[in-house]
Amino acid sequence: MNRRDFLKSLMATSYIALGSASVLAPFNALAAAGAKTNNDWLTTGSHFGAFKMKRKNGVIDKVIPFDSDKYPTDMINGVKGLVYNPSRVRYPMVRLDFLIKGHKSNTSQRGDFRFVRVTWDKALTLFKDSLDEVQTKYGPSGLHAGQTGWRATGQLHSSTSHMQRAVGMHGNFVKKIGDYSTGAGQTILPYILGSTEVYAQGTSWPLILEESNTIILWSNDPYKNLQIGWNAETHESFAYLAELKEKVQQGKIRVISIDPVVTKTQRYLDCEQLYVNPQTDVALMLGIAHEMITKKLHDEKFIEGYSLGFERFQPYVLGESDGLAKTPEWASKITGVSPEIIRDLAKVMTKGRTQIMMGWCIQRQQHGEQPYWMAAVLATMIGQIGLPGGGISYGHHYSSIGVPSSGAAAPGAFPRNLDGDQKPIFNSHDFKGASSTIPVARWIDAILEPGKTIDANGAKVIYPDIKMMVFSGSNPWSHHQDRNKMKQAFQKLECVVTVDINWTATCRFSDIVLPACTTLERNDLDIYGSYANRGILTMQKMVEPLFDSLSDFEIFTRFAKIMGKEKEYTRGMSEFDWLKKLYDDCKADNVGKFDMPDFDTFWKDGYVHFGEGQPWTRHADFRNDPEINPLGTPSGLIEIFSRKIAKFNYDDCPGHPTWIEKTERSHGGPGSDKYPMWMQSCHPDKRLHSQMCESQQYRETYTVQGREPVYLNPSDAKQRGIKDGDIVRVFNGRGQLLAGAVVSNNFPRGIIRIHEGAWYGPVGKDGSKQGGNEMGALCSYGDPNTLTLDIGTSKLAQACSAYTCLVDFEKYQGKVPEVSSFNGPIDTQI
Amino acid sequence: MNDKRLYDTAMNQGRSMVYKLLSSLFAKELDHQLLKELTASQAQAFLAQLASDPLFIQDIATLNSVLNSTLNNVNTDHALLELAADYCGLFLVGTKHSASPYASLYLKENAPNKDVLLFGEQHQQMQTYLQQSQLTVQSEFPEPADHIAVILAYVAHQACASDDKTQLAFINQYLNAWLGSFTDKVTSLDTGKFYAALAHLTQTWVASDCEGLAADQ
Repeated sequence: MNRRDFLKSLMATSYIALGSASVLAPFNALAAAGAKTNNDWLTTGSHFGAFKMKRKNGVIDKVIPFDSDKYPTDMINGVKGLVYNPSRVRYPMVRLDFLIKGHKSNTSQRGDFRFVRVTWDKALTLFKDSLDEVQTKYGPSGLHAGQTGWRATGQLHSSTSHMQRAVGMHGNFVKKIGDYSTGAGQTILPYILGSTEVYAQGTSWPLILEESNTIILWSNDPYKNLQIGWNAETHESFAYLAELKEKVQQGKIRVISIDPVVTKTQRYLDCEQLYVNPQTDVALMLGIAHEMITKKLHDEKFIEGYSLGFERFQPYVLGESDGLAKTPEWASKITGVSPEIIRDLAKVMTKGRTQIMMGWCIQRQQHGEQPYWMAAVLATMIGQIGLPGGGISYGHHYSSIGVPSSGAAAPGAFPRNLDGDQKPIFNSHDFKGASSTIPVARWIDAILEPGKTIDANGAKVIYPDIKMMVFSGSNPWSHHQDRNKMKQAFQKLECVVTVDINWTATCRFSDIVLPACTTLERNDLDIYGSYANRGILTMQKMVEPLFDSLSDFEIFTRFAKIMGKEKEYTRGMSEFDWLKKLYDDCKADNVGKFDMPDFDTFWKDGYVHFGEGQPWTRHADFRNDPEINPLGTPSGLIEIFSRKIAKFNYDDCPGHPTWIEKTERSHGGPGSDKYPMWMQSCHPDKRLHSQMCESQQYRETYTVQGREPVYLNPSDAKQRGIKDGDIVRVFNGRGQLLAGAVVSNNFPRGIIRIHEGAWYGPVGKDGSKQGGNEMGALCSYGDPNTLTLDIGTSKLAQACSAYTCLVDFEKYQGKVPEVSSFNGPIDTQI
Repeated sequence: MNDKRLYDTAMNQGRSMVYKLLSSLFAKELDHQLLKELTASQAQAFLAQLASDPLFIQDIATLNSVLNSTLNNVNTDHALLELAADYCGLFLVGTKHSASPYASLYLKENAPNKDVLLFGEQHQQMQTYLQQSQLTVQSEFPEPADHIAVILAYVAHQACASDDKTQLAFINQYLNAWLGSFTDKVTSLDTGKFYAALAHLTQTWVASDCEGLAADQ
């Protein structure tokens, strides 16, 4: 048969039915003209700042910084990749074995296994059925839907609010207290200074620049961390850092970075560094305190008038209570800082105006409460708390803290909780004797040891028997510690549901995965500058949700519909009804103070500006009159000794700041004979935690052979035969990872850095592609939490201790596996 | 325009049907309806006719064997889910460890620094082609226009609407340029047999069709 006859014979079979399944449809020019895409510049915002965007043929084309952003972050180059990256969750998916067997599925397969696409209806019904099953069988203690994270920005679509309101309408559940960023700090500081301090406006930069003689950046890298914000970041802080740089150069302000490594801020400011051995800052502070006391450099009058318990603390410093004087010599042996420098530091800090600025990393270690408390004591001894340019702050590196606030009322958000008269379908509050709230970083322990009682912040916490987890806009397989322990815990769960934009490792370890769209695929509004509250920004939809993804509002409205509670959920309002309400409520709150145009004008303009704020000094009111303006501590004063904490009788957090040795510590500390290197896993320079790691082209601007960089000291690298650009295996008894060597003098001997938020990409132990869900798996990309220690900071905060981590490393000699982090679930079983 | 080709309707409709069939199998998972349709007599006659060319006999035998074993499985639902999981792992997640069905991800290999984002340049070019032909991607199929199912469907359309030269140029540029890499990827990754056979059949069919188109000119 010739070709012509052959082809004709196909037609002769009269098979035509498949034509109906065509993926093409006639182009309706009229409809297309009606839906003509707007190619104007639109305004939107994100954690990375505000920007303007333009579309071309329905696809985001150009992204430029917002007009008023004079210091945009380089991360703006990764924004387009957030939308169109290959890691997107494209459809609702269910793990195959879960779809077939439900709560009796083989959970050892979780991690990397077969998924199938389902419809939204099917996925949401399965979700609800699972909640029904857990609430019926176990009650509210069986469900943890409180493990939330850094959601994408937007006051309406906030993923945390939507998930918790919707799941809350179904039934009650276990929640967290605290967060991974500042768990120890936000728990201890209310006892000491009366508020969390970490999430509070700080003394304005203009006053600091005017009044400070010395700024101590203690484990603090603002130039790196101010690139991102909880709301759309204004980056105004960078103007003040530029001014600071000038003053440092002119010799007008002395900035000392007390840090084991040369930070990005130090390099930018070209300021001094004081090296301190990792995890020994409390010993250094005690040495300084000893010098201040013995040389009478401290401000006794301030201590007497504004604080409580110095007389209980001083004997400890002088060694009268424990026989060990905390002299500079004593401190020197632990910290690696010479006694002379410690003595000099005591002098410098008490001469002129000194502003201490604490970073957050330092409290993410075992006994992380202590450096924060001890730093507050030092600031009290210096006696400048409440003065402009003096005292102590715990947030000048975060979200526009220190930028004068406009004073305007900020817009509200979609409600996270049920409305007053609403009741969940399953309204049991019977947590079966267990706690309904657990410290944020202890959920894995709870899953592994249900019923266990632990001490936490003066109370007893009894771990609930968690059977189901629900995550939305949160990626604990990035931010929690110890992956092998997490794998054990996840095998005990009956059901895991995750709503996310991309196939994070958390999605891969889930049973039901629901695709949320990005911020650029829905309409929203946001506060411009979290603490500055500079204005309100539109977040205009750039493109329709890609694939089958939906906005958080739409996902949980559909879920509420399945529960028969759609109207209760939305209050009968659409996306735009809500936006108008949030805006109009804000407008009403600002009447007489700030003029705001009507909603349509705001939406057209893209922005309402509230103007500049007035400089302000933290704790000035307290300093002016501590009786009228007491701190929120039990005594109303700064508590150098806390009776309340002392009464808890915790060996790892006694009644005053104390130097306590760590479970593992480098530079001669415990465990350093086996694993000599301290690994710091600070917030990344080119991501927001794990957000934007998926933005492929941007990621390629900093990766080494496609891996997350590991920063190494030249001598340490040379000793192991490693050159810049090599692939390195970093390991300890808890895990192993591959990373790309960046050899740098910024990192002293015995210290390595891998930024947290590097996506977990497990492959088999030996580097083979098989076995991503096995214990001891090798992380192919370089997630530092493969190696970190999962213990509480102390019985007080029970926060995470990621910074207490020893490792070793070697040149990787094995077969180099492909990075498996960014491509969704990989079928490794067959 | 090559009038002779345009008027040779039956022949081009035959070609079009093959492209449509291939497109529909790449467009979504097999479900009960499609399984029933493909195992019914008309489709079977069509497949048998196609298999009369020795080039396609092996792949069609494999497809038929999977279709029949799925239909006759005591648990057809389960068998379909296994096929759906194969489909998902190959075409619905990631790019690197899957056989992504998007042209742009293969064509970038010639220019490693080029845009590798989804909805990239190839998507835009296909959109332009579709619009020129008064076509668009169905709203129920929320995929970039450089998805293999869209490209195959577009060739199915072209078969009855364009001259040989235009068709050949389009197929060479938008399909043949990456079909080989795509097929290799599907073959190496498919945990079952169905999609490996489908990809191979597509590659063989397109090659054969191109030969025919070139010869007819």
